[in-house]
Amino acid sequence: MLTSTRTECGSVAELPAFESPVSRSFVSDAGASMEPRRPGAALTLHDVSVTTKIIVRAGPETVAGHQMDTPFGASRTEDGALVVGQRPDEWIILGPAAASRALIDGLDRSGHVSVIDHTHSRALFRLTGDEAASVLEKLCSLDWNDHMTPDGAAVSASVAKVTCDIVRNDLDGTRSYLISCDRSYGQYLFDAILDARHEFGVGAPADAAG
Amino acid sequence: MTRLPPQPGEVIDRSRPVDFTWNGRAMSGFAGDTIASALTAGGVRVVSRSMKYRRPRGYMSNDYWDPNGLVQVGDDPNVRSAHRLIEPDMAVEAQNVWPSLEHDLRAVTGLASRFLTAGFYYKTFMRPMWLWPTYEKVLSTFSPGGRIDLDTPHRYHDKRYTHPDVVVAGGGPAGMAAALAAAEAGAMVLLVEHGHRLGGHLLWGDDHDRTLAAELAAAVEAAGVEVLVDSTVTGRYEDNWTAIVQRNHPVAVERLIKARAKILVAAPGLIERPYVFDGNDKPGVMLSGAVRRFVNMHAVRPGSNAVVFTANSDGDAAAADLKRAGAKVTVVDARRGEGIVRALGGSKSVRAVELADGRRLDCDLLVTAAGWTAPTSLLNMACDRPVYDEATARFFPSVPIGNVLATGGLAGDGSPDELIDHARATGRLAAARARAVSHRLQAATARARPVDGEAPGWPPDIRPALPRVPHPALFRSTTHGVVDFSEDVSSKDMVGAATEGYDSVELLKRYTTATMGPSQGKLETVNTVAVLAEARGQTIAEVGTTVWRPPYAPVTMGALGGRLFEPQRVSSIHPWHQANGATFMLAGQWIRPDHYGDPAGEVRNTRQNVGIMDVTPLGKLDLRGPDVPKLLSHLYTNKWMKLAVGSVRYGIMCAEDGVILDDGVTGRLGDQHYMMTTTSSGAATVWEWAENWLQTEHPDWRVHVTPVTSGYTSINVAGPESRTLMRRLAGDVDLDPEAFRYMQVRTATVAGIRDCFMWRIGFTGELSFELHVPAGHGLAVWEALLEAGEDLGVRPFGVEAQRIMRLEKGHFIVGQDTDGLTKAPAVGLRHLIKLDKHDFAGKPELAWALEDPSAPVLVAIQPTHHGRVVPDEAAQIVRPGTNEIIGRITSSRMSPSLHRPVCLGQVLPEVSDPGTELTVVMLDGRRITARVMEHHAHFDPDGVRVRG
Amino acid sequence: MLIVPCPNCGPRNAADLRYVGESRPRPDPNSASAKEWRAYLYERANPAGLLRETWYCRSGCRRYFTLERDTVTNEFTNPPTPVAKLGKRP
Repeated sequence: MLTSTRTECGSVAELPAFESPVSRSFVSDAGASMEPRRPGAALTLHDVSVTTKIIVRAGPETVAGHQMDTPFGASRTEDGALVVGQRPDEWIILGPAAASRALIDGLDRSGHVSVIDHTHSRALFRLTGDEAASVLEKLCSLDWNDHMTPDGAAVSASVAKVTCDIVRNDLDGTRSYLISCDRSYGQYLFDAILDARHEFGVGAPADAAG
Repeated sequence: MTRLPPQPGEVIDRSRPVDFTWNGRAMSGFAGDTIASALTAGGVRVVSRSMKYRRPRGYMSNDYWDPNGLVQVGDDPNVRSAHRLIEPDMAVEAQNVWPSLEHDLRAVTGLASRFLTAGFYYKTFMRPMWLWPTYEKVLSTFSPGGRIDLDTPHRYHDKRYTHPDVVVAGGGPAGMAAALAAAEAGAMVLLVEHGHRLGGHLLWGDDHDRTLAAELAAAVEAAGVEVLVDSTVTGRYEDNWTAIVQRNHPVAVERLIKARAKILVAAPGLIERPYVFDGNDKPGVMLSGAVRRFVNMHAVRPGSNAVVFTANSDGDAAAADLKRAGAKVTVVDARRGEGIVRALGGSKSVRAVELADGRRLDCDLLVTAAGWTAPTSLLNMACDRPVYDEATARFFPSVPIGNVLATGGLAGDGSPDELIDHARATGRLAAARARAVSHRLQAATARARPVDGEAPGWPPDIRPALPRVPHPALFRSTTHGVVDFSEDVSSKDMVGAATEGYDSVELLKRYTTATMGPSQGKLETVNTVAVLAEARGQTIAEVGTTVWRPPYAPVTMGALGGRLFEPQRVSSIHPWHQANGATFMLAGQWIRPDHYGDPAGEVRNTRQNVGIMDVTPLGKLDLRGPDVPKLLSHLYTNKWMKLAVGSVRYGIMCAEDGVILDDGVTGRLGDQHYMMTTTSSGAATVWEWAENWLQTEHPDWRVHVTPVTSGYTSINVAGPESRTLMRRLAGDVDLDPEAFRYMQVRTATVAGIRDCFMWRIGFTGELSFELHVPAGHGLAVWEALLEAGEDLGVRPFGVEAQRIMRLEKGHFIVGQDTDGLTKAPAVGLRHLIKLDKHDFAGKPELAWALEDPSAPVLVAIQPTHHGRVVPDEAAQIVRPGTNEIIGRITSSRMSPSLHRPVCLGQVLPEVSDPGTELTVVMLDGRRITARVMEHHAHFDPDGVRVRG
Repeated sequence: MLIVPCPNCGPRNAADLRYVGESRPRPDPNSASAKEWRAYLYERANPAGLLRETWYCRSGCRRYFTLERDTVTNEFTNPPTPVAKLGKRP
């Protein structure tokens, strides 16, 4: 079993690109890597909650809505930030504080447009590896096959009975998912994903102490 | 020993002996043996006792369905011993035998036969009712099933969702060929086989059969089909939602797979049907398939002197197998008009069989090959109603179903080549239809990859029909015998039930419980129908059959439970609570500190000095847009159009039926920016409620509702010293009582953390500030408060202290002091219902409720004598001297501030006037008197402290 | 489990949505009689056949929408409509 002692966020050091205002992570074992059982089947789970998360809500009639330029269910990268069409007329911008700030400052706020800093509201994890979809299959009823959730796809769904926003965001051709949930569920969801990995990786995370 | 020399198709590994125990006795077998084959090899014939009549039973079908083979393995009850493989040191026991398998005393008491006839559930043990406890004890000794060990450790069950193009149920030749063809056509295929390996009946066939099985299995694997063996498709539900229980998972005990199959191929094969005759349940009476599996797969000869009653080639093959195994074999051929009438013998084994022509043949093994049952379950679950075909004496699917295709024995007979051709055509059709389904799904799904080209049409079913080979209709001989072996129901019972009027098959089934046991009708359904048809003088087609429903095979509770997902929520201060002795409580999914050891002390400290409480679970909704006041006016019963920036207001929300839905305060942070708080449990409901109005009735209102409950760590700083404490940490806000008044809100930098906001409200009745801090800094601010307020006596308080303080103040809690019938006027806030607003949720009901003189009202109550007795929550309030309920206590605590019990309660209006004496019935029956108070607030009714 | 065609997300498991129930117009709260209002609150047609009903895509797009379902066959006969696009119903 994993230790339940919470530690200062270990993943900050691993992700120097993010200059987040989140001073403390709430997840133990932040940045846990899982030892692969099969060669080439590395499976990692990282707590990247420090990522800046900005919600932009803007109707189709607004300039901001056009500026987002990302349809519902899709995502795209701009200036180091990920713009996610998370819901109709609603986007989440994920990225380093500096980069997303530039994006937000450039937004036309005329009309009924809301910009809300959601950085503290959401936990965000990155699940990476060839078996990442197999892990998600154990937690979520959506179809994780390439044709239904290709790289870039953005969905919302129940994961281990917690409603999550999920973006397929492959890293150098390796399957990877950004999974975010309400901050208060963060530890529970992190543990649930770790537990689901049992059949794909062995042993406790090597760098659990972060 | 009846273990044969090595057989060409045996699946046992003779180099790996396995020792286990049977009822404590040492036994041995080989790796690959089932419990059944190992026991039979060891000379065991009786493995169970029948459910009602306690008759000794031996293996009959020697497969998963064998009704006589349920055993206890360690702490695992109801294990199917003809399926479960032996493992070293496995402790196998017979189930529910008393005192032992060999001598079950209940068999000779006569009790069973007198009272347990058909319909005994409804007839006997009914009167006199006062004897029911005794009846229950008697009946429970007859209940089938093994022993449940309550100390069994929790075992890891798993769950998986998958979306294959094609799920093939059944890994026999047809299933394999269909899976192969579908995979070759590009489909993603999941092939599920009940048994331990692919091959189906080919596994106990001849050399040619086994070669074909091996070739198909290899091709299936090479084609990339995902194969699950020792797994069962247990149900097919709406839109091909398919339940699969995987028993051979490497990590989990079992895994429930929920597969959304685009196309489901049903290829379960055929199940051999027992023959009904006198003595057909004696140990040593077996089906031909049972014998062939014993001999060919496990190299076990189940008898040495066999009579084989056969109507088909499988019976002939069983006779040949037994001869080859060295048994003496006499064939009784139904196709030549020969028949069997009764099996004779003692309690341990069949010893002879009486034939229709009067001959009597000695034997220790009586094999029957009377025909087949088509397990059309998965088709039934897709709304097919199979019809009876007289020529072949079995049921066939009747309605074409678009996304469920049958092949193999369900679809017909024919040569192996014909059957495989049909299965391959089925696989190709399944793949083509799956492509059409997939195209539609992909095109309709926002996130999916864009589809290429036109939507494919729906491929028509142009498979040539399989031939049907005639088979004699053999269901019952001229004698009566057992029809349902699991439930111990005989054909005589059924004829009797039909005579009593239970003459429709669905009624008969429920009355006699036939087909309702662990075999799930696989062996007995058609015989049940045939016996009923005979009793009614009708044909089987006229009687029809029962509907096969899920599960196809019994499922363990563990498999259904799967992995337990029980989400838990914690605030960012949770680690501090853990480290500082908090006792936690579960509030919905939130884990909250109930107290830190002394809730009454926490109350006193907050009233005297200053206390801080983690109130993060408080629901928080960020509201933005020009029309927020319209939304607020619609959701709350009071007015919101003129709330000033920097002010907060309390409101109650009602549903359209006028019942209180939630309450809380909402503050105006900016021109078009509001923050709404809800009860902890109501946050999600209120959000959906608000969205409902915005999306359906008022799409023209420009409001964005965003939940931010967890985005802010919320801390209530309460007590006379709270302002002093806040001055030390929030220096940028003018905290002067005149500058920051009660029911106002300010944005602030607290302990160096920017973007906080706080409002002056007071659920506890004390001067208090509710801080909302960006959650990542919540713990830092909490610790800063404790440090900065050390000299002021700051201490944390938990939910219990808060509940006491709010009760002292008479503040109600939605869901505690109100219920699903409590309308807004009942809680004493009539002035908050503004009927002069044009519209708001629940307005008409509230208008009527305001006029309703009969609705209960919420009042404060204090016991008048027995001063230290705290009334129980939910204690009833009755009319004095009677049991007529006129109210109830909804909240009750000993007040540390007033040193007396204080309560809230709902009472009828006629007893709600201040000073009215009430009689409260405690849970132990004592009656105490109490008085209705003048104000809801027991403590500081004028609210001096909170406005300080 | 039923698949429900969400107009935004596409086909989703029914468990991802909340079934709101039969779509029914809200009477004018200022003129409705008690009988009319209670009919709106409690009375349902519950037909064996075509039914216009409202769903809320709770785990997905968080939008309310209506669609027409045959309660006998569970077939959805018309494309789903976001409720907002219906505007105010009579």
